Amino acid sequence: MTSKIARRSLLAGTAAVAGLTTIYGPWRHNRVLAQSSKPILIGLTHDASGQFANSGQDEQRGTIMAIEEINAKGGVLGRKLTYIVADTETTPATATRVAERMVNRNEVAFIVGAIQSGVANAIGQVAQKYGVVYFNTNSSSPTEAGKDCQRVKFVWDGTGANFANAAAANAVKTFGKKWLLLTNDYVWGHNTSKATRETAVKFGAEMMDEILVPVGTRDFSPILLKVQQAKPDVIAAAVGGDDFKVMRQQVVDMKLDRKPAWLNNQQDWPDVYGLGIEAVFGVFGTTWYHKLDLPGVADLVKRYQARWPDTRIDVPGNVIYNGYMAMHELAKAIERAGSTNNHKVIRALEGHKMAARDRMQHHDAYIDPVSHHVQQTIYMATGNDKPVDKTDYFKILSSVGPDDAKDANEARDCKLPGFDKTPTYEM
Amino acid sequence: MDSLLFLLPHLLNGLALGLLFALIALGFMLIIGVMEVINLAHGSLFALGAYAALALMTPDGGLPPAMVALFQALPLAWRYAAALVLAPLAVAIVGMGLELCLRRTYGRDPLYGLLLTFGAALVIEELIRLAWGPTERFIPMPQGITGGVMLGELIYSKYRMFAALFAIAMIALLWLFLERTPYGAIIKAGAHDSEMVGALGVNLPRLRLFVFGFGSLLAAIAGIVMVPIWGIRPHVGVDAVVPAFVIIVLGGVGSFWGTVIAGLLVGMVVGLTGAFATDWSLISMYMLLILVVTFRARGLLGKKSILEA
Repeated sequence: MTSKIARRSLLAGTAAVAGLTTIYGPWRHNRVLAQSSKPILIGLTHDASGQFANSGQDEQRGTIMAIEEINAKGGVLGRKLTYIVADTETTPATATRVAERMVNRNEVAFIVGAIQSGVANAIGQVAQKYGVVYFNTNSSSPTEAGKDCQRVKFVWDGTGANFANAAAANAVKTFGKKWLLLTNDYVWGHNTSKATRETAVKFGAEMMDEILVPVGTRDFSPILLKVQQAKPDVIAAAVGGDDFKVMRQQVVDMKLDRKPAWLNNQQDWPDVYGLGIEAVFGVFGTTWYHKLDLPGVADLVKRYQARWPDTRIDVPGNVIYNGYMAMHELAKAIERAGSTNNHKVIRALEGHKMAARDRMQHHDAYIDPVSHHVQQTIYMATGNDKPVDKTDYFKILSSVGPDDAKDANEARDCKLPGFDKTPTYEM
Repeated sequence: MDSLLFLLPHLLNGLALGLLFALIALGFMLIIGVMEVINLAHGSLFALGAYAALALMTPDGGLPPAMVALFQALPLAWRYAAALVLAPLAVAIVGMGLELCLRRTYGRDPLYGLLLTFGAALVIEELIRLAWGPTERFIPMPQGITGGVMLGELIYSKYRMFAALFAIAMIALLWLFLERTPYGAIIKAGAHDSEMVGALGVNLPRLRLFVFGFGSLLAAIAGIVMVPIWGIRPHVGVDAVVPAFVIIVLGGVGSFWGTVIAGLLVGMVVGLTGAFATDWSLISMYMLLILVVTFRARGLLGKKSILEA
């Protein structure tokens, strides 16, 4: 008798423990909180302070706008999207804390947002630990889809390597072989310059020097004197955020923007908008421009202006675009997966093809299943000498297809963790 | 000879940079010298000066349209000159307001003053963000002081030369004010022993109010002069307050010429490392500080403490 009760208790206890484990964790192994009517909570990790505060807030306008549009059309799988926003302060340590809190306390289903590569990498590591699907929307260090790739992470911006690939061959031919690298002394700068060096050398460039620019540099005069003394044909600059703004101001003021030729890798819209067309200099890359003559572009601009009438950035740029498109694609992936189960959503994203028309770009794009990087059109641009209005800063020089701009090193460097090493969940 | 010619532009650039650093630190030095308050809001007042100039010089600077129209009718050079006078005066009033708040901390633990000015710095920065937004802004400069000037084969910034000359003029004017006027004598006496100055019949609260306002005015002038080089954004003050602090410690707290010499030294070191070891350029000023303070704790021209007598 005693043994029967004990066995029953044991069975009941085991069932209870198994049930509770299934529902409440531990996170490391499994999360199942599927509730058909519960809104899907997205964690938005956008910088609101620090070096990339301005871009972070710009990106936020794009992600929120997309969420509102998705909800206006009935949400995803009949569920609304809701969001919480946290300031990642352009600081990797803060990003780690924010991501941990979002997963463990707020129980977000997905995380979206990043400008700085250190921040994106930090969030990516936390997201991989818990299996949370994470969209790095705007950080463009080649390592993000290279050695720091994650099974849960998808990279939406073009990387420094893409921009270098798109620009280098033409720049060597047009401007000359003597190149000098200006490198912001942090992960994005180093990796972007490395990619530029590799690509440019392949096309016959000779690297004269690489000048490391500490983050926070406010006086570029010694550097500008030095580069004049060196007399390069091309200066390939991988300088970002406030440092880039300060450098640009000093370069333009000294009228050094015409000669030598400046190759500025990527020009983020929030970094230049408001300064006037004369502040744009050199040749640079971007993933999108609000004056592209493509279906949907003008409509997006109008919707943006209606939604954000008070912002000083009157028209959307590449940073908003990346956030906006990423959020829409997340919703579509959940629909295709038919579930918020992370493994199913990841599989729905891997290798997914996106029509040029849907993305308002010139070439079809796809999510590389090897690196989780969105391979897309890269536009090369320069300052517009014939603007049609006060927002028309860029002159688009060319559009380069994803296969021509693709970074071949991603396949070598990216080792995606297996699905067996990625905890599964459904929210 | 060739190497000297190669080095010369960098030495001149370091000198110009040093003069600008000295200009940034002068107001900071004045307040800490007379009032023994480390004004952590100095950077925010620097930024506020720049934004006040922006308001006067650009149509979307935040001023009422009628007032803006009045200013916009003036040539750019006139607007710039007006901004260099009016904006610092407005910031001086803000500085005086801050001094009134500081009064309750006098005679108490210096930490109170430090915390109050730190809080004020945060408040001013956020108010700037609210009023002018977080995005980068741009102050148009008169044509005559923009562009490049040829130094041999090299192009150098015309504005930077103007700014360095302006800094020399400001340093000279401040020195004349402190050395050749009775007000300057009172300020210097206040820096030496403020209680004794009070005992001699000088209205000490009014002296402190004036000095704080004057220091804020100098911060604002430095802000207006520097932002065409550094750009204008709400947190631009952080870029000013850190070197200012390094310079006054290096030069000796409260020493006018100590501040000027330290500014020049920092400019030289930053300028030369910026050219020849760029990745060391930011840290170089701190290394210089450590080096000097290790062998001379009171800074280059600081007063001897009673412990050293």
